[in-house]
Amino acid sequence: MKEEECRVAANTNIQGRYYLMKIESEYISEKSDPGNFVMIAVSGSNDPLLKRPFGIFKIDSPYFYIYYEVVGRGSKLMASKKEGDRVMVVGPLGNAFPKYENENMLFVGGGRGIAPLYFAIEKYSGSNNISLIYGGRSKDDLLFTEELKQFPLNEAAFYTDDGSGFKKGLVTTDIKEIIERNGINVTFSCGPDKMFESLNEEIGSLGIRNFVSLEAFMGCGFGICYSCVVKGSDGKYKKVCSDGPVFRMEEIKWQT
Amino acid sequence: MADLTADLGFIKLKNPVIPASGTFGYGGEFLQFFDLDLLGAFVMKGVYTDERGGNEPPRIWETPSGLLNSIGLAGPGAEGLKKIIKDVASKTSTPIIVNVCGGTDEEYLEVARVLDVMKEVAMLELNISCPNVRAGGSCPAQNSSDTKRVVKLVKENTKKPLIVKLSPNVSNISSIACSAEEAGADAISVVNTFLGLALDIEKRKPVFKNFFAGLSGPAIKPLALKIVWEVANAVSIPVIGIGGIMTGRDVLEFILAGASAVQTGTVNIVEPTGSVRIINETRELMDKLKINKLEEIRGCLEI
Ligand SMILES: Cc1cc2nc3c(=O)[nH]c(=O)nc-3n(C[C@H](O)[C@H](O)[C@H](O)COP(=O)(O)OP(=O)(O)OC[C@H]3O[C@@H](n4cnc5c(N)ncnc54)[C@H](O)[C@@H]3O)c2cc1C
Ligand SMILES: Cc1cc2nc3c(=O)[nH]c(=O)nc-3n(C[C@H](O)[C@H](O)[C@H](O)COP(=O)(O)O)c2cc1C
Ligand code: FES
Repeated sequence: MKEEECRVAANTNIQGRYYLMKIESEYISEKSDPGNFVMIAVSGSNDPLLKRPFGIFKIDSPYFYIYYEVVGRGSKLMASKKEGDRVMVVGPLGNAFPKYENENMLFVGGGRGIAPLYFAIEKYSGSNNISLIYGGRSKDDLLFTEELKQFPLNEAAFYTDDGSGFKKGLVTTDIKEIIERNGINVTFSCGPDKMFESLNEEIGSLGIRNFVSLEAFMGCGFGICYSCVVKGSDGKYKKVCSDGPVFRMEEIKWQT
Repeated sequence: MADLTADLGFIKLKNPVIPASGTFGYGGEFLQFFDLDLLGAFVMKGVYTDERGGNEPPRIWETPSGLLNSIGLAGPGAEGLKKIIKDVASKTSTPIIVNVCGGTDEEYLEVARVLDVMKEVAMLELNISCPNVRAGGSCPAQNSSDTKRVVKLVKENTKKPLIVKLSPNVSNISSIACSAEEAGADAISVVNTFLGLALDIEKRKPVFKNFFAGLSGPAIKPLALKIVWEVANAVSIPVIGIGGIMTGRDVLEFILAGASAVQTGTVNIVEPTGSVRIINETRELMDKLKINKLEEIRGCLEI
């Protein structure tokens, strides 16, 4: 990992609160694996002070892409960046999704949680049989569905909470059938905490290998401030930034 | 080119910049960013006798130009730390300072004893000022008598130079600093974090389970600078200035206020190569201002 000043090559509003930032870094684009993230200085000043964590969405060396949602002050400042602006970036950070070959894999994305999965699908769809479940609040929160369909997928199921544009439902609505139909033995998921809780209930005890990519409020992003912890099923705290962000589902102590 | 040597009397550091406890891990984590030999020294994360898990999240909260933390000193315990110290010491010749914590007098003593025998440890920093362990943020550094007792006890049982880290959350910091000096402290480091409160208006609850948390970062710099000035005028042992340092200019301001060296905290969290940038900026600014040595300006405030 490295800290470097990078050039913003493009920063596009895709739709509503969602943006795609293209950043130039040969180092990060060459060293990153799906699941890795970067910390980005949003202000270039002391306020806001902390860098913000974002998963790597896509690589096109020497560029990498961040797909982000504007949710607060930091991400709003990100949205105001222009082509040619320079941002401090630390990365690549965290562990990555494990590498598999010739497995029947299911990717489960909730909203902007599709970001690290997109990269993983792009990288692994050639060597595995991949299926996808992708859900969001409404059709305006479910981006890149057409691009995702271009990958060689066994099955792709899209859902919205309100039924707009796609089938009404949650990512868990048909998950058991999809797992059975496609002989799934590995899942990768990323989304809001509530989604993980229901996933754990639905598929946590099916005896397949489930991996989750978690979010947490981060200070440093590289393991030194101990601020990003989650409780593990062994009762010990785990650092999301350096022990994760990818964990086996059973390593985490879920509420349910 | 300016000479950055910082003379603490009992040790000479190649420059005055020392990454602070809790913001620099155990040092080794930063090897991927830069050579630790570039630093004046560095302080490891605080350690107790036993392994600790730390506080329930949330543990940090961002404030304007600042950071509130309630980490609660998570860590491996003194015995567990020995291996980590040996490992990082094999990769750098920069002096290692260990931040000694304790819930009781006996614990401070025990941690100090375990580390005292390690040749890899250059100095101990007695953390009698951590606000995040006991309820309400209490600590020995809150009054002169507790400070004197704990410092004396540890000093009598260690051969290492002893830096005593004080809390800003007191009404008369000078008298507490003097108590630490009388009890045998070799240097004073100020400040630890300022107690603060973050509230969640929707839930009508405090953000942190421990209620209060410790404020650090550029937001506290003027407050810290005042305290360093007061302490440097009250004691005759060296003072290490801490609080919100983000630039080389900040370093020279603390030296001008009377500090012999400085510690950089939050900057390491938000900018992993920040301390090295600060060293370079300090050198450049000294050259620009034609300051040959830190001693030329230390405490030389024209008033
Ligand atoms: C590993 C990782 C990968 C990520 N990848 C992506 C990605 O690819 N795309 C994407 O859009 N987002 C991603 N995120 C989330 C992203 O980091 C946040 O949305 C972003 O940091 C929000 O910053 P902000 O300043 O806009 O919002 P803020 O204003 O900081 O916060 C938004 C909300 O969180 C609350 N909050 C702020 N600080 C804390 C705290 N310390 N504790 C509890 N609550 C707090 C605020 O009250 C507010 O409601 C990722 C996060 C992690 C950890
Ligand atoms: C996340 C975090 C953890 C800290 N842990 C410790 C600690 O273990 N021991 C200690 O003496 N001080 C600890 N501190 C205080 C710092 O060492 C320093 O005194 C304080 O942050 C003020 O400096 P700054 O404004 O440059 O950060 C911690 C500070 C932060 C932000
Ligand atoms: S964010 Fe600092 S340890 Fe994880």
